[in-house]
Amino acid sequence: MPRRTRALMTMAALAATALIGASCGGDDDDGSSGGKAKLTFWHGQTELWADCLATQIDEFNRTHKNIQVSSDTGGVVADRMLQKVTAGLQAGNYPDVAYVFGSDLANFARSEKLLDLTDSDEIDIDKFYPAARDSATVDGRVRAVPALIDNLAVVYNTKLFKEAGVPFPKDDWTWDDFRATAKRMTNDSTGVVGLGWPGTGDEDTTWRIWPLVWQLKGDVLSEDGDSVGFDGDSGEGALAYVSDLAADGSVYIDTTAGSERMNQLFQNNKMAMTITGPWNLPDFVDAKVSYGVAELPAFQGEHATIAGPDVWAIFDNGEKRSKAAQVFVAWLTSPEQTLACAQQAGSLPTRPDVLDQPGYQDYVESLPGLGKFVDNLDNARVRPTVAEYPEISQAMGKAIGLMLFQKAQPADALQEAVDKSNAALKVPGP
Amino acid sequence: MTTEAAAAPPPTLRQRVFGETPSAWVFVAPAAVIIVGLAIVPIVWSLVLSFRASDLLSPGRSVGFANYEALVKDPDLRSAIGHTIVFTGLFVPLSIVVGLLLAIALNRRIRLIGLYRTAILLPFIASTAVQGVLFSFIFDQRFGVANAMLDKLGIARQGFLGDPDQALLVIVLIALWGGVGFSVVIYLAALQDVPADLVDAARVDGAKRWGVLRHVILPQLMPVTVFLLIWQTLLSLQLFDLVYATTRGGPLDSTVVVVYYIYKQAFVLFHAGYAAAVAYVVAAFLIALASLQFIYSRWSARHA
Repeated sequence: MPRRTRALMTMAALAATALIGASCGGDDDDGSSGGKAKLTFWHGQTELWADCLATQIDEFNRTHKNIQVSSDTGGVVADRMLQKVTAGLQAGNYPDVAYVFGSDLANFARSEKLLDLTDSDEIDIDKFYPAARDSATVDGRVRAVPALIDNLAVVYNTKLFKEAGVPFPKDDWTWDDFRATAKRMTNDSTGVVGLGWPGTGDEDTTWRIWPLVWQLKGDVLSEDGDSVGFDGDSGEGALAYVSDLAADGSVYIDTTAGSERMNQLFQNNKMAMTITGPWNLPDFVDAKVSYGVAELPAFQGEHATIAGPDVWAIFDNGEKRSKAAQVFVAWLTSPEQTLACAQQAGSLPTRPDVLDQPGYQDYVESLPGLGKFVDNLDNARVRPTVAEYPEISQAMGKAIGLMLFQKAQPADALQEAVDKSNAALKVPGP
Repeated sequence: MTTEAAAAPPPTLRQRVFGETPSAWVFVAPAAVIIVGLAIVPIVWSLVLSFRASDLLSPGRSVGFANYEALVKDPDLRSAIGHTIVFTGLFVPLSIVVGLLLAIALNRRIRLIGLYRTAILLPFIASTAVQGVLFSFIFDQRFGVANAMLDKLGIARQGFLGDPDQALLVIVLIALWGGVGFSVVIYLAALQDVPADLVDAARVDGAKRWGVLRHVILPQLMPVTVFLLIWQTLLSLQLFDLVYATTRGGPLDSTVVVVYYIYKQAFVLFHAGYAAAVAYVVAAFLIALASLQFIYSRWSARHA
């Protein structure tokens, strides 16, 4: 073989190796170069919280000489984290720490790459509030660390209420009061609508129904967990209530992706009330809306609401990095650091010892109405961490959509949702 | 050469593996690696996946043809296919007819023609996400410009993207706004290729404008039309991004098209195996369609 050809062959072989190497890049990099554990952190946050996290990462890197946390977010927002991490796990190129919605954790827990933190030396789950703890626990094992906790309450636009001469909502109000208020506040001539409800049929549509179901003595799952717990009166009553609201014409059905339109309407004084969580308060303050906060209404006395805790998931990238990731997450969720970014995150305290921190009162007073959300944690329950939840959510989201668009009777829509959910609960997982 | 070849010893192993000109492999290798890595491997991998129950997270298990059996009976898939057919049935003919009309209108020497041509092409360049955001503002049921205009005209307000009965049609409209530019460009190029002497000859024979169009220009545009028909059909069968940017399949699943359904199965409901099976059925269909184009070009070459 002429020399020239051989040289070319070598080049091609090198090029091919480089390409193959590039396609599975990161696999062979255990991040331990120079004795430092290098961590990839996909926090999925934008704006205020992202800025605050960046300063936290800097401080952590400064105070921990053996660990280097990358402030590269992975280019993912929390909404898309599920797809991105799933694809990453499949490709063998995944972050050490990722922000995961509580409702997705049970599915991630099926991956053995998600660390089991039950016997972790770094993470002490008992330090957290029960609702936060439950959302990080799957089948009795601790599989994540609570990152954020919130709950739903009614935020109302005080300016619009004053203009309409309608008294502000009181904490002891009922769903009948709520419906009447929404109707009174809806005014076609000024373009003001009573409230908004996400209408795409995804989890954002669904999770708002569970407080009504709980208040009517139902639940997401039955006690043995083999079937749903919202068949019968609780589910039908909740759906019928949404149907009544829609029939009044006092609901803006937000069909935009991500339900952003509702918030814009509220901030532009075009929506009187919104059922939302503390994460929206910084935006409302930014937009200079004058607002008040009231607990969710009740059917008979019990003002149950829902908390949607999200978690930090830690993935196994080898012993050294896993260990370092636990140190990092333990530091990030310590009382001091939890409080440091709580305001920017719009999060409530995930653990009781945050309340003893010196800056706690300043935090509560930093945003109008935040204290109400903190107190409201006493009323909060969480969704079950089961792998079938996304299917239940989808079935129920469809039923709620049918109510909002007035396309079915509550009993019929409920029956379809119950049948679909129960079928999903019977299928054995992969 | 020939005498040497006749006396040559039997080929060595290296020659048998790499052929007479081994250096050719050098040039092919980089492209081959890319094609195998980025196309063939995923194709084979998703075929394997389609015979498994997998959530992409846990190891999963083999289920034989169960995914394929399930998809035949899946009512949600059936309605997703229905939506895709409605979309394709509206988008493809409209984009071709409107594209042709615009191209004919733009195929003349008038003042500022460059500006008009650019303006028609601009939406085609805008990213789908931008289109989605733009039109979800315009078609907002309560505060959008579209309804404000209807108010001025004294026509009842419409639900548009918020109405389960209208959302898919509105998406067809948005897709047309963004997709017609492509047909225009292709037709413009083809129109300029129509031989001027053919048109002149027809005129001399007394053909009027319509006659020239019907009997001279349209037949000349036939190959391009077939290409556009198949190309736009392939595109519309794969519709995903516009749905994702505007409605996420809602309201009431009225805009769930097949590819969005696959996405939802794989990445929302964790049925990756099932999603792969549906994807394979769609892919088989697309390949069959693409081969139509191939058959047509062979046929027209023979009958030219």
